[in-house]
Amino acid sequence: MARNFKEMKESDYPLCAISLDTTLLNKTGTWRIFRPVYENKLPPCQDACPANEEIQKYIYLALQGRYEEGYRTILEKNPFPAITGRVCFHPCEDACNRREFDEPIGIHNIERFLGDYGLNKVERKEKPKKPRSEKKVTVIGSGPAGLACAYYLAKEGIQVEILEREDLPGGLLRTGIPAYRLPREILDKEIKKLERMGVRFITNITFGRDIMLDALRRRSSAVFLAIGAQKERSLDIPNEESKGVLEGISLLRRVNLGKRSHLGKKVLVIGGGNTAVDCARVAKRLGREVVILYRRTKQEMPASPEEIEEAEKEGIKIEFLVAPVKVLLNRKGEVKGLECIRMKLGAPDASGRRRPIPIRGSNFAIAADTVIKAIGELVELEMIPKELEKTGWGIKTNDWGETNQKNILAGGDCVTGPKTVAHAIAAGRKVAERILFDLGLKEQLPIKDEREPVNFAQLNTFYFDKAPRVKMRQLARKERRSFQEVNLGYSEEEFLTEAARCFSCGVCNRCDNCYVFCPDLSVKRLADGYEFNYDYCKGCGVCAVECPRNAITMYPEGGL
Amino acid sequence: MKLEEITGVKKVVTGNHAVSYGVLLSRAQVIAAYPITPQTQVVELLSEFCATGLLNAKFVKVESEHSAMSACIGAAIAGARTFTATSAHGLALMHEMLHWAVGARLPVVLANINRAMGPGWSVWTDQNDSLSQRDVGLIQFYCESNQEVLDTTIQAFKIAEKVLLPVMFVLDAFVLSHTSEPVDIPSIELCDSFLPPYKPRHYLDVERAQAFGGLTSPDYYYEIRIKIEMAHREALRVAKEVDLEFKKIFGRGYGLIEPYHCDDAKVIIVTSGTITGTAREVIDEERKKGRKVGLLKIRLFRPTPRDEIKEVLLRAEKVAVIDRNISFGHSGIFAQEIKSVLYNEYRRIPIFNFIMGLGGRDVRGEDIKEVIDYVFKTDYPTEDVIFKGVRL
Repeated sequence: MARNFKEMKESDYPLCAISLDTTLLNKTGTWRIFRPVYENKLPPCQDACPANEEIQKYIYLALQGRYEEGYRTILEKNPFPAITGRVCFHPCEDACNRREFDEPIGIHNIERFLGDYGLNKVERKEKPKKPRSEKKVTVIGSGPAGLACAYYLAKEGIQVEILEREDLPGGLLRTGIPAYRLPREILDKEIKKLERMGVRFITNITFGRDIMLDALRRRSSAVFLAIGAQKERSLDIPNEESKGVLEGISLLRRVNLGKRSHLGKKVLVIGGGNTAVDCARVAKRLGREVVILYRRTKQEMPASPEEIEEAEKEGIKIEFLVAPVKVLLNRKGEVKGLECIRMKLGAPDASGRRRPIPIRGSNFAIAADTVIKAIGELVELEMIPKELEKTGWGIKTNDWGETNQKNILAGGDCVTGPKTVAHAIAAGRKVAERILFDLGLKEQLPIKDEREPVNFAQLNTFYFDKAPRVKMRQLARKERRSFQEVNLGYSEEEFLTEAARCFSCGVCNRCDNCYVFCPDLSVKRLADGYEFNYDYCKGCGVCAVECPRNAITMYPEGGL
Repeated sequence: MKLEEITGVKKVVTGNHAVSYGVLLSRAQVIAAYPITPQTQVVELLSEFCATGLLNAKFVKVESEHSAMSACIGAAIAGARTFTATSAHGLALMHEMLHWAVGARLPVVLANINRAMGPGWSVWTDQNDSLSQRDVGLIQFYCESNQEVLDTTIQAFKIAEKVLLPVMFVLDAFVLSHTSEPVDIPSIELCDSFLPPYKPRHYLDVERAQAFGGLTSPDYYYEIRIKIEMAHREALRVAKEVDLEFKKIFGRGYGLIEPYHCDDAKVIIVTSGTITGTAREVIDEERKKGRKVGLLKIRLFRPTPRDEIKEVLLRAEKVAVIDRNISFGHSGIFAQEIKSVLYNEYRRIPIFNFIMGLGGRDVRGEDIKEVIDYVFKTDYPTEDVIFKGVRL
């Protein structure tokens, strides 16, 4: 070919404008003023989860059929998904961005499926282990905080002993939560999981009576106090000490441990929290006539809305804006009823809920054989060794559960006052992390995730179809006379259908949109994700706009 | 069903389905189209051919005609035999990419069903949609019958691939597109012998990366454009050869233009599309009466078969061009073309221009007879354009 166009002959000219070689020398990346970066963000579900579970990740794994990996992902943050999948009040679902699109993902149902898969398929393969370490930690209380702490310590080979005052371990999971919500078989399997890891359970031993803190301190590198909040708050009304007035928490304990309930025919439950609803549903199952009395309205009820709904479905009546005044007794001194007063709502109080105010002269009586008080639990302060510094309600600790005494840590309800199972598990894990760090088994403490969670407006919902949430099958109403589990779980098909609804907010799930849309072919597929070729990426931002989940961020190039 | 079983038969089909059969017999490899009345049935039947596997082609559904032509361009660059069909507004929307297909020298074949442009909204025939694409560089054929439609489809691929230019062939909305006629659907063996698989001279090869359609400086652009013009001139020769070869194999040929009773004609009527069929009958009647009138059908509009047109028309005393189109502010478009072809000739012939049948209004035999009567009794056109039948 001629050297320049002046010397070119007709035959030298190409048919049309075709380059003779690639155009790769034209590095169009130099045109870029904005740089796309793959940057996974914090999904709102994970942000809302008290245990900080990586929900998006295990759903992503599950959708690929990687159930075991999904299960193990949960275990990183929460050792007992089969439990929380049943009893957690799932703040994750309240935060789910899908709520603004159609309905939130059934995250706890998905967690339950993976938890059950883990117990039935994964744990079965595990061989019993013996602790590798010389270090020994004593945990007092085998509720969710104690169990979780024991799990993360045993995982690192620490010798863990859990002390429990009841006959069987489980704490409030066993004594507080009725079997229709958490079958004993599941709880037992989760505890067996710990036993296989080398955790020793010592039951029928009461801390502060059978064994003292000093003794434990001598034989352990650290002691974790997780004694919970198991004392019922008193009503402060006349005749409260009568035999027919029961404490909600002890009623549940008796029933859950298979002891006699001492319930009369007609039962009044006072309170609006989960303990009150549990008591009512238990009494109903035992064939009693049950009414719940609550001093505010349904809107202010602290119990989980789902539990309230189930209670009402089961025929439990709830009287709102009613407070007890006096327990009424017959001549023999037995409960014959309750004198109550009507309430109205005033200005919001410190909790942000409207304060109930009695309506003068509105007193009335309700006939009853048993009155159950369930207006909140307190820490048994008398159980706490006097050398430990206390707050107004429990043990005082710093962020890592450390008390004023060296190597004595505390966590869960006995520190925070009554909270959820997920909160207790998170507290147990945090304490374990601190102990492992102090014992030199972990090089650093986990860093708190301060990122802003992804919100709905940051998603590109064009790529999502409306799909109703998969409802969980439930036990028919007429069969709810026993303590058989009410929620029946997802089938594998239901589980996968529900999992597929996940937006994967803020986290790349390899949908290929960026790869497909990049006009400069500057997105390269990797084994697990993508990479930009900045030599040619012009920074047009199409990838970031078309990413349905906001997993790509555009940053100005330097100097802008 | 096998391809062998449904070809090599005579069948009553609409003009639209004649296109589909033509594409089937040509073994197109990629079809990208967006449906529009009156074209829809063309791609409807093709999509069925693709779905049943009769035609081993990738059928690409797109969201617009611009994308349809873009997809065809991509496929053609990759070396595939490519087809699309459209009409009126769809063709207008394709306009930018038609330039692209021509400039990149891609042998895309396009069927356009002539439909009047809106508004006023219309689905009926006239030629303004296709003639608006006059200067893009497409090869343009205008068809008279369903048989000619099918035959032109097959010829179009061969011509396009020989000269590396896109070919558009045109048929009238409803008059052909939705009207059934007996059509000889040649056997696939015969078609294969006429139209071998497409072997692109240049194509996109991932092993040998090249950029297509890149920046072209003033130092090169002119030359590359003139290469397109040379290809058009070449296309005149190629189209004629292809038609002759087609006639040898299939027994039917059409020429680039078709003179009918022109040898001794004093007046020659120039038509295109389906008006030709009507005009043929009028000519037959007039000839019976002894009137020396002839008909010239323009089949190939671009490139212009200048020599052929001159050879026929220079024998006549007067010429009348019937246009089913209008170049606003000037005249009928075929009339302009004929005038420009004849202008540099020593002998000056009066050329009458009749604009008729816009927006699908019927052009009847008696309308054409009136045109002939008028031209016979008028020595020289007093007006540049006669709006025949307009109710104003």
